[in-house]
Amino acid sequence: MRSVVCWTVFVLSAVAFGSTVSSHADDVVDFARDVRPILASKCFACHGPDEDAREADLRLDTRNGATAVRDGSPAVVPGKPDESPLVERVESADEDERMPPPDSKLTLNDAEKRMLRRWVEQGAHYSKHWAFVPPKRPAFPDVADEDWIRNPIDRFVLARMKQAGLSPSPEADRYRLVRRVYLDLIGLPPTPEEVDAVVNDPRPDAYERLVDRLLASPHYGERWARPWLDLARYADTNGYEKDRPRTIWPYRDWVIDALNHDMPFDRFTIEQIAGDMLPHATIAQRIATGFHRNTMLNEEGGVEVEQFRYESLIDRVNTTGAVWLGLTVGCSQCHSHKFDPMTQTEYYRLLAFFNNADEPELAIPDADIARRRARLRAEIEQRERELATKWPAAEGTDPREEARRRQHAWETEQIRKTHDWHPLRPVLTDSRKGTTFTELDDRSLLAGGNRPNNDLYRIAFEVGTDHLTGLRLEALPHESLPAGGPGRAPISVGKIITEGDFLLSEFRAYLVPPGEALEARQLVRHSTENWKPLAIHRVTASHAWKDSTGDKTQDGNLDTGWRIGEETGKAHHLVFELAEPVAVPPGALLVVDLEQAYIHNMVLGRFRISGTSDRPPLASSGLPAEVESALRIPPKRRSPQQAWMVQRHFLRTAPELKDEVARIDALRATMPRFVRTLVMQERLPQVRRTTHRHHRGEYLKPKEVVTPGVPAFLHSFPKGAPRNRLGLARWLVDRRNPLVARVVVNRQWQVLFGRGIVKTSEDFGTQSSPPSHPKLLDWLAVEFMDRGWSLKQLHRLIVTSATYRQSSRVTPESLARDPENIWLSHAPRVRLEAEQVRDTILAAAGMLTERIGGPSVFPPQPEGVTSLSYGSLAWKTSSGADRFRRGIYTFLKRTAPYAMYGTFDAPTRETCVVRRGRSNTPLQALTLLNDVVIMEAAQGLAWQMVHRPATGDDASIRRLFRRILTRPARDTEVDLLRGFLKSQRGRLARGELDAAAICGVKRPAKTENSKGRREQDAELAAAVRDRLRHLGQAVPDKPVDAARLAEWAAWTTLVRALFNLDETITKE
Amino acid sequence: MQGSGRGETGNDAAAVTRRYFLRDCAMGLGTVALADLLQREERAQGAERRTDPLAPKPPHFAPRAKRVIFLFMAGGPSQADLLDYKPALAKYHNQAPPREMVERLRLAFAQRNARLLAPQYAFKKCGQSGAEISDAMPHLREIADDITIIRSVHGDHFNHAPAQIFFNTGSGLPGRPSMGSWILYGLGSQADDLPGFVVLSSGGGTSGGTANFSSGFLPTHFAGVPFRSQGDPIVDVRNPAGVDDTLQRATIDVVRQLNEKRLQQVGDPQIASRVAAYEMAFRMQRRAIELMDYSKETSATLEMYGAQPGKATFANQCLLARRLVERGVRFVNVYLKGWDHHSNVKGGLKSMCGKSDRAAAALVKDLKQRGMLDDTLVVWAGEFGRTPIVEANATLGRKAGRDHHPFAFSIWMAGGGVKRGFTLGASDELGFYCAEDPVHIHDIQATIMHLMGLDHKRVTFTYQGRSYRLTDVHGNIVHKLMEHA
Repeated sequence: MRSVVCWTVFVLSAVAFGSTVSSHADDVVDFARDVRPILASKCFACHGPDEDAREADLRLDTRNGATAVRDGSPAVVPGKPDESPLVERVESADEDERMPPPDSKLTLNDAEKRMLRRWVEQGAHYSKHWAFVPPKRPAFPDVADEDWIRNPIDRFVLARMKQAGLSPSPEADRYRLVRRVYLDLIGLPPTPEEVDAVVNDPRPDAYERLVDRLLASPHYGERWARPWLDLARYADTNGYEKDRPRTIWPYRDWVIDALNHDMPFDRFTIEQIAGDMLPHATIAQRIATGFHRNTMLNEEGGVEVEQFRYESLIDRVNTTGAVWLGLTVGCSQCHSHKFDPMTQTEYYRLLAFFNNADEPELAIPDADIARRRARLRAEIEQRERELATKWPAAEGTDPREEARRRQHAWETEQIRKTHDWHPLRPVLTDSRKGTTFTELDDRSLLAGGNRPNNDLYRIAFEVGTDHLTGLRLEALPHESLPAGGPGRAPISVGKIITEGDFLLSEFRAYLVPPGEALEARQLVRHSTENWKPLAIHRVTASHAWKDSTGDKTQDGNLDTGWRIGEETGKAHHLVFELAEPVAVPPGALLVVDLEQAYIHNMVLGRFRISGTSDRPPLASSGLPAEVESALRIPPKRRSPQQAWMVQRHFLRTAPELKDEVARIDALRATMPRFVRTLVMQERLPQVRRTTHRHHRGEYLKPKEVVTPGVPAFLHSFPKGAPRNRLGLARWLVDRRNPLVARVVVNRQWQVLFGRGIVKTSEDFGTQSSPPSHPKLLDWLAVEFMDRGWSLKQLHRLIVTSATYRQSSRVTPESLARDPENIWLSHAPRVRLEAEQVRDTILAAAGMLTERIGGPSVFPPQPEGVTSLSYGSLAWKTSSGADRFRRGIYTFLKRTAPYAMYGTFDAPTRETCVVRRGRSNTPLQALTLLNDVVIMEAAQGLAWQMVHRPATGDDASIRRLFRRILTRPARDTEVDLLRGFLKSQRGRLARGELDAAAICGVKRPAKTENSKGRREQDAELAAAVRDRLRHLGQAVPDKPVDAARLAEWAAWTTLVRALFNLDETITKE
Repeated sequence: MQGSGRGETGNDAAAVTRRYFLRDCAMGLGTVALADLLQREERAQGAERRTDPLAPKPPHFAPRAKRVIFLFMAGGPSQADLLDYKPALAKYHNQAPPREMVERLRLAFAQRNARLLAPQYAFKKCGQSGAEISDAMPHLREIADDITIIRSVHGDHFNHAPAQIFFNTGSGLPGRPSMGSWILYGLGSQADDLPGFVVLSSGGGTSGGTANFSSGFLPTHFAGVPFRSQGDPIVDVRNPAGVDDTLQRATIDVVRQLNEKRLQQVGDPQIASRVAAYEMAFRMQRRAIELMDYSKETSATLEMYGAQPGKATFANQCLLARRLVERGVRFVNVYLKGWDHHSNVKGGLKSMCGKSDRAAAALVKDLKQRGMLDDTLVVWAGEFGRTPIVEANATLGRKAGRDHHPFAFSIWMAGGGVKRGFTLGASDELGFYCAEDPVHIHDIQATIMHLMGLDHKRVTFTYQGRSYRLTDVHGNIVHKLMEHA
């Protein structure tokens, strides 16, 4: 579409700053201001920090480099431009000589050439880029107009404004100011009553009191979480092709809560980067680490899991760089940075901090859920214990007696199938793909750490007997595993994969002679040459899925193996009968290989190996291990628990009780689950991962090993801090960090003023745009740190300044002199953020649900939006109050985001976004005119006008105006709206418009003469009631008749028009 | 565009300012319909249109193509069974390939010891040019003399989502502007009442999702607008229930009048933009409905495509693509998914070609008949190709399939200055790697930009402290495939 004038997106600093530079023409050259930008944009690509790209061994980003003698002479001779090859080459008319060379497509203009000459003339001084020098509290500039000053911000702003020949605007009128500060601090417009309270408050600090109230509002956290969640790339799906839903909303709620409690920004940082590593980390602190779990996850078939783990590490480094350092560190992934002094090795040293974390889910304890679970478990046990009483028995006989009798027979039969198994103690574990193992109390191993597509587990066991005739592998459930395990497959894929399943391709066992030295993490690489492979005669399974039987683990074909299919959440086993008894010398170890060569994380999650010396034949008993061993104990010697275990198994598997057992299992299926959220968990030192530099950033090209460390050009690592994520977090918010406070303060400024003091808020490096108010930025940064990193205090400081409180009216003078309003001679007038557009309209309609937190919701949106993504997520539109939640709670599907938000420039949250665009397009007009959300809000608000009408149309129009735009309407505005209303009333009366359709009321179907008038009226009234309930509106006692419906429709058209005003979706 | 969007676009603000004072202040707006004025002025004064980010901009040099229709075959069609005839594969069918061929190969599912799989369809030389096309694409054979087949395309990405995003944006990760966005950014839009970059999909989504047509860090104006495959093409393009056109017009009018008042009070030129956006939205509503009305298409045309109005088919989307470019749309992406044939590649191709071959060929014929092929570029490509070796897996129930293969695959292009009846490049004897004239996906991107009259190295945007472009630091223009190169 031909879109329209949209200069806010396109305005650039070059124009404004051009004059600043030239005005210094006769002054002393300032390297940072005048020279570095030229060198950085025109020279550093070949003569900068990147040693691989460096031409002619010349480096111009340091003075040493520029003045070093190469080929007999330095490039720059300080003070002597005519002897400096740099000046000569730059000024040369000869194409072969000239720098930059013509094929670079870069050129220097005359002013730039003169600047370089003068710089050399004045001694070729270098200075550090301003943003890499820690901020110091600057002196206040002198200002003439003391009366205008409300706090120090105003001094800095006024001084620059005057230099630009501009004057401040008067304070905005109360209505607009109140609306502005509501939108800025809590993201919602005020109600007319709230505004009146402030407007009519005679106290001189009425505004400041309002600010304090808003800062204390629970909606403050919701409003300020939004920009933070853009940085955190928070979303409710995994991204990439499958883009499955994930649960990480507890992290979103943590952010809201932390902001509401004004958690100091340094702590806010530490908990998100390394909350899991804090001493005695709380659940909340672990939830906070979700920040870096918001990276995408590629679950496409056939992906190399480790490759995409690497991609997410890259994302973590880049996001950390953008959020806390304001640096585009991502450039150094492939090569040393072209412009900023960061080497490629330093990039991977940062990455090393993140490389040692596992990525588990955390089940969030919840007393209520725990209680409900305990209650249900007790009930299930109770009903299981009563199973025997349900035994079908002849009349007059005791069913329990009958069951006991049958159990006895069953036991006699079963006992013959059992063997004397003893679980082997694992002594060493290793895996090819970085899986780690935790030994549980019962000697089973729980897999953790990496979750690769395929893997080889190699485990060494003590045998404990002098010979072996067979082995048993149990695949065991565990509640931390997908679908309860025993496998780790995270998703079901058609008929190919079942969540919680695994595929064991091959099973091998070796006897390792005593004395052979084995090392835990070297086991997979260890040669099997001296090990004695145990020949397996026969494999039997307790259960197998279709053709995936136990013997497939011995066929040498990696495509086939043992799996359990849909029988997840239960224990299963294989029994391997050895070809001949194997003598086990003292000190010998048994090594077991579990080769799992399948896809989609079809690997074992929990397992246990047992051995037996029983005489063959050996086969699976089909019984769970605990039952099998209890059975072998004579009934009288069994503990009550063992006795119950045997009895329970008998009862649960008896065909006679099938239906009753199914009822119990149905009850078990209703077991409430704890909410699980994605977190980071540092790996133990013994399984620490090794980090490499990657050539050109490619996953498949690891080079030398690097250790965790921070870039040399920034402050040093804090003394005594551990070289891990926690240490990194402390380093980020170290007071010596020149960037963090400036970067954070700048982003707050950007939210409040529509642009940052540094416009390129994502980049404070040498290529960034210079700050419009450098001293103000430094003052705010220092103030922020001195006030204990309090964001609320920072926000209070800014919104109580005279600068903020100005009118947003654009005068011809300011537009001509400063079209971008860099010098802040008036307040900004900016379109609301995507979510705010929705929130504001719903709030104005009085329909916004105020509930904070919880799972994301699915407000209505046009059909077919999510069908454009691969998974075609069914958008199950929420009903009731969840239809009208704040935008921050809308389910965010990365590959098909909520349509309205994309239209209003919200990002897809696939990567960190520091600065949203702000466009103005016809698609936005279509949304506001036609979208169902806006229409419902219009119907709801219109009903309120009809349900409790004011005295006369004019009064109603004025009331609406206050609801939607806060300020009182002007007479000419009322005139226009009255005319519109009248015209629509006329069309409704003439039957040109369908009132029911406009109000979303389902008009009863007309049937020929079968219904009387009265009946039709009643049906219409019922349909209206349904609609009102759907909209959450008051239902009148008296039935709504056709005339009232027409009135509702007329007001709906009017409200809809008001929602479409530019002012409605603008902060003035 | 040139010079990274810095500096030059600063003029936009100045132009708005100038216009604002000239018209809105000095002349006084009164009750004159601002939007009409704006339009009239824009039509009269080309220079003033620079303020519109989508206003047409001059290309860097004379373009060969004015518009692009990119038929994206999501999933990765098997070149060995469609466009890259390898008799050796038939000869050595079911034999192990040379070890050095598979050693370097990356595989998702197929095993390294898998055997070669013969072409599943017979090939024939077609037309004057003798291009080799398989029996699976009988309709493509009919236009063999109108197209260029490239049999030596290679890319870097191995999985669907990253590879699709790479083909569309030049990067395997989401977040970069797509080709259509870069072209709009470079050339602006010619459509007055439709988006300049439209995305069509015949049901079901693609692995890359919206990242495939995102404007990335470019302003949202340049994003591809997805059209729905059924019903109204654009989200929210239809009036809400009960709102007729008269009410819609009356609403826009009262909104405009109130906005104009506001503009006089607060002086923010953004308000004028919004008024114009509403006018354009109103026009778009009409146009979108007219666009979907196929009643003026002849039955011969419908028959040629195999189009059935109202259905979400690839044939309909191809016809719609033609209707879109006729109405000034600059870049149309048509996605067709379902080419991921890990098993039964023969049957899979039969089904997919059945859905697409006739319509894709019809599109080229139709454009030619209408004299539009000369300056409309049609591209047919998937994100990668498929292995010469078989994919089979008993547990998965897969047999006679082929795995992902980005190392040498085939695409075709037509019109827009591309040679007619030409085949470029070759893979090795068994089709594992490129043997002659290798063409990287970045090269295709550079070439498409070039055909559109843009120097891919000069269409840049400064973001995060560096200047970005579609082709990153790569991309060579493939002169060999251009007419009169």
